[in-house]
Amino acid sequence: MPSGMYKSGRLRKIFVKTPGGRTTIHYRERKPGKAICGNCKKQLSGLPRERPAKIASIPKSARRPERPYGGVLCSACTRSLLRSKARKEESQ
Amino acid sequence: MTLFNVGRLCVKIAGRDAGNKCVVVEQLDNHYVVVDGATRRKKVNVKHLEPLAETIKIKEKAAHSEVKAIFEKLGFNVWDKKSKTPGARPKKQKVKREKLVKEKKAEKPKVVKKEKVKEEKNAEASNVEENKE
Repeated sequence: MPSGMYKSGRLRKIFVKTPGGRTTIHYRERKPGKAICGNCKKQLSGLPRERPAKIASIPKSARRPERPYGGVLCSACTRSLLRSKARKEESQ
Repeated sequence: MTLFNVGRLCVKIAGRDAGNKCVVVEQLDNHYVVVDGATRRKKVNVKHLEPLAETIKIKEKAAHSEVKAIFEKLGFNVWDKKSKTPGARPKKQKVKREKLVKEKKAEKPKVVKKEKVKEEKNAEASNVEENKE
């Protein structure tokens, strides 16, 4: 019987076949949820879905899109935001 | 008739240069133009530009230096290439280390293998026997 911490569902199970033919269960930490746009809540693409410790080892340019608001807003929302900003500046 | 004629000020709204001001330098067709200014000098799709009301008087296919001069006059930021030749680095001075002179170990008396000693003894013994005979 697994001990308490393995029964709560906090960790994900991985079924590993041993050389002896048995199947054992290994436990790993779950990955965080997918990043979403701060405006339209769409899933953002081009972002790694890893634990923070692993993300720290990735180069910075691979962590998020290189444009302004990259990794926060989706491309469509960024365009509409910048467009409205430019128009606001014009009207003033 | 498009808004993106030569000299039109625009804001780039997509990609790495998004949010930066630029000016149309060349019109390639109805969909593509060449821009320069606070962005990199690039061929861009018109969909990635937001036109502004102002226009600048410049020649078609104006060089970056001309655009730079006008932009600096207007008080806009200008993108400029980083110089390819980096500044000379201070050279590291090599510190010469004095070579350590190893002290010679006192020579140990050579140990003669036992087998050799035995053989020698045997040889001596045989010599003695021969002499007796």
